[in-house]
Amino acid sequence: MPDNDESPMKPHAVKTEGLTKVFYDDGRGKVVAVDRVDLSCSGGEIVGLLGANGAGKTTTLRMLSTILAPTGGQAWVMGHEVTENPQDVRSHMGFYSASTALYPKITARETLRFFAKVNRYPAARIEERVEYLIKRFGISDYADSRVEKLSSGMKQKVSIARTVAHDPPVLIFDEPTVALDVLNAIELRKIIAQLRDDGKAIIFSTHVMSEAEQLCNRIAIIHRGRILATDTLDGLRKKTGCHYLEEIFVHCTQETDTP
Amino acid sequence: MRLTPAVRTIYGLEIRSLLRDPRAIFASIILPIVLFPLLLLASKKMEKDLGDSAPTQGEPAQTKTYKYAITGTESEFVRQLVEGLPAPDAEGADTKPIDFKLVDVEDPVQAFNAGDLDFYVQGMTPDEWQAARAEKPTPVEEGAEKSETPVVRIHYRFDRPKSLKGSSTLRDKLHELRTSQRHAKLVAVGFPVDPSTVAASTTTNVASKREMSGSQLGRMLTMFVLILMVAGGSAIAPDTLAGEKERGTLTTLLTSAAARSEITYAKFLAIVTMGLVVTALQVFNLWLYLGMGLIDVPADYAASITPVTAIVLFVLYLPVAGLTSGVLLLTSAYAKTYKEAQLFLLPVILLLIVPTLAPLLPEISLSSAIVMVPIANISIAVRDVLVGQANGWLVGMAWLITGLAAVYATRCADRALNDENLVSGADTDRAELLGGPALFRKRVLRWFAVLWAVKVLIDFNVSFEDLRVTSLVNIGLVFVAAPLVMVWRFELKAKEAFALRMPKPIVWLAVLLGAPAGLIVSAMIFRLASYIVPIPTEMLEQLGQAFLPEDIPFWQLAVFFAVLPGIVEELTFRGALLQGLRTRYHPVMLCVIIGLIFGFFHFQIFRIPSTAVLGMVLTALTLMTGSIFPAMLWHALNNAMALYIGSAKVDLTANSWLAYAGATLALTLSLWVIWKNRTPYPGLRGSDRPSEADLAGVGETVSG
Repeated sequence: MPDNDESPMKPHAVKTEGLTKVFYDDGRGKVVAVDRVDLSCSGGEIVGLLGANGAGKTTTLRMLSTILAPTGGQAWVMGHEVTENPQDVRSHMGFYSASTALYPKITARETLRFFAKVNRYPAARIEERVEYLIKRFGISDYADSRVEKLSSGMKQKVSIARTVAHDPPVLIFDEPTVALDVLNAIELRKIIAQLRDDGKAIIFSTHVMSEAEQLCNRIAIIHRGRILATDTLDGLRKKTGCHYLEEIFVHCTQETDTP
Repeated sequence: MRLTPAVRTIYGLEIRSLLRDPRAIFASIILPIVLFPLLLLASKKMEKDLGDSAPTQGEPAQTKTYKYAITGTESEFVRQLVEGLPAPDAEGADTKPIDFKLVDVEDPVQAFNAGDLDFYVQGMTPDEWQAARAEKPTPVEEGAEKSETPVVRIHYRFDRPKSLKGSSTLRDKLHELRTSQRHAKLVAVGFPVDPSTVAASTTTNVASKREMSGSQLGRMLTMFVLILMVAGGSAIAPDTLAGEKERGTLTTLLTSAAARSEITYAKFLAIVTMGLVVTALQVFNLWLYLGMGLIDVPADYAASITPVTAIVLFVLYLPVAGLTSGVLLLTSAYAKTYKEAQLFLLPVILLLIVPTLAPLLPEISLSSAIVMVPIANISIAVRDVLVGQANGWLVGMAWLITGLAAVYATRCADRALNDENLVSGADTDRAELLGGPALFRKRVLRWFAVLWAVKVLIDFNVSFEDLRVTSLVNIGLVFVAAPLVMVWRFELKAKEAFALRMPKPIVWLAVLLGAPAGLIVSAMIFRLASYIVPIPTEMLEQLGQAFLPEDIPFWQLAVFFAVLPGIVEELTFRGALLQGLRTRYHPVMLCVIIGLIFGFFHFQIFRIPSTAVLGMVLTALTLMTGSIFPAMLWHALNNAMALYIGSAKVDLTANSWLAYAGATLALTLSLWVIWKNRTPYPGLRGSDRPSEADLAGVGETVSG
């Protein structure tokens, strides 16, 4: 994979400091969705954001990908701050979630070309890149079919290919496996692991314990908008004295829930 | 805005996606191309049937026979009169001979109603005539009020083209006859000369042919162009943002390196393109049909558009295309789903069409404040250009203002993309799961849109003889049932929803002072406004007369049009609507928005501004007192006095400036008292109590 057009790898590809999101909701009033989150992720590493539904995973990742503006704190992607330089943040990042869909009326090939262009991949190398992606993700058979005609498994492959279309150093996966069947989920996890081995910095959110155990170099447990612990699985085991991630998770969250 | 690579790429995607959607292409391009000329053809046909009696050239001359009967006590007189009419004169070969055929029937009225007769003529004695007039006043020509000879009355039906034409031809003939007879009589009594040389009166049209057709065309052209542009733009607009939100592709696009301004700009360009393409196709289409002779248009029309004019028109319509597209894009940005965007389209289209009707207003010119109104100013500029009386500076200014409005609308769409609630609209909503008051706050505007549609349907389709019944149906169906259903459906507490709390006693006094003063002040505002925007006198008259039927006693009018609406409309607008919107907008915006919605529920176009202002005052009143009752009293008093003024024929707009000053003072005093004794509406946006500044702002809006 032709990678690393970047200058010498910065210590952290992704970094947040005190990242906070407060919003006003008609029903609930003031809601602190994300509360002073500190995170970091380097190239060749997968950081898992583990939490229950509504814990603040998606909000955190949406702030990182500049869809939402933080109400406090800061976040950098490849040295670019999310509020100061959102376009540069996005051109260095690929974002994938269960809700990032594809355009139905264009073909897989056109999709990849479109996202490579929009994400400012050097124009002269776009065709070469598209060919590479088609081969790498095994979509040659249906590269010229319209996306609306593809099966969900095929769409998923095209979706991942479009996420890395511009060869970004940082990848964000927001609960990517949530809508997939077992086989497709396994396939996706395999691809994510490969991308890590390519040297990408990957942040991955999930509420499935086994997935986090299997895939992540480090795990950040998030609960009610706050990071309770960030460490490798072994580190977490040592800290809590529990073996399974599920136990660790329950241990951490109960500590904060009981005053 | 530059055409960056991202803009070009996204634009290409939009156009390509549309071109690959056969259904959209069919609905937005092919169908209108077929339908539009058909519509024109049909309207031409109708015009011909109803139109003037001058026969069109080329049609073979054939005798047109009108069947009629004679009735009444003076029928013999009528018979002689009609038989004595001069025979159809042979002025030219193209004049169609006209023949009136007297039919002998038992009951002319019945035969007429059955359609066997085109009209019937009634001969009346002068006394009968007077009695009939007393019963149902009819306009008569000068000198005929006190007729001493028998009177001829022609009964016809406006809705039957043949009846209309036949009767008017007969009437003209009778007039001719009378003039010539009068002439003969004058000569007989020794009048020396032909009376026409003494008091000749003719009407001469001084406008040139070009000016006439130009003004005719200019009045309607902008509306047609706008409709075409909307038709084209709306083929793509709902999909551009709302459709993408629904599919989830918007998130994909927003996390790409394209700037949000690039996204909106590309989509804006796509909508403009579609609008212009469809308009151009239709113009070409029309030209083709004209060329094939399928539609005939007076030659003057074609002559009034020279190539230079066509170019000027194109340039003039560019900002209209921009504004239309900007508004469509904005609509799409605010809708959460494709369906919702389509739902919003109809009211948006109506809203865009209203200003294109500006040239229909008599006496309106660009040198008034209308030059500041986007689209309206262009449509008047177009009329002026077609008539050949355009003022370059003013036309330029109109162009600039509409252009700026287009930029503004696109900017708003841009900003909407940064609005998190709108961007993440497709996500499941907590309120939707919970239901109840939180959901009501999200749905309240949708409910009122439906309510508005229901009211439109009722008002335009159901008519009752008795105004009282109309009032009751409106009140009962629309304004009582609706708030009650909302309270029930969303489990609202009635006391909260309708603000059923008591204000301080002094507020009542302030309302008694403020309501009459407010009415006078609004008359003053109206008069001031008429200095800026020339308001045709007929409009002013209509405003004054309102709807007063004379057979209903005043106290009943007061009950049906003042007390009941006062109570019920307040429950709807200052009750349910205000409760639903209270957390969504700043209090000042609440007044403006609720006032406008209230205004739009009163359909007569001349009443919208005045009711909107009243609605704003009433909202401010409810916000300040936290109670609906003062607004009810104010509303009822306002209506009752308006009724009284209408029935007593008092002209408020003719008041002296001293009276206006006094009224303004009284209104300010009243609002000041209410403000000093305020018990604010609970749970407004931001804080539990509205801040001083908020309500001070409200007060200014009211007295200004």
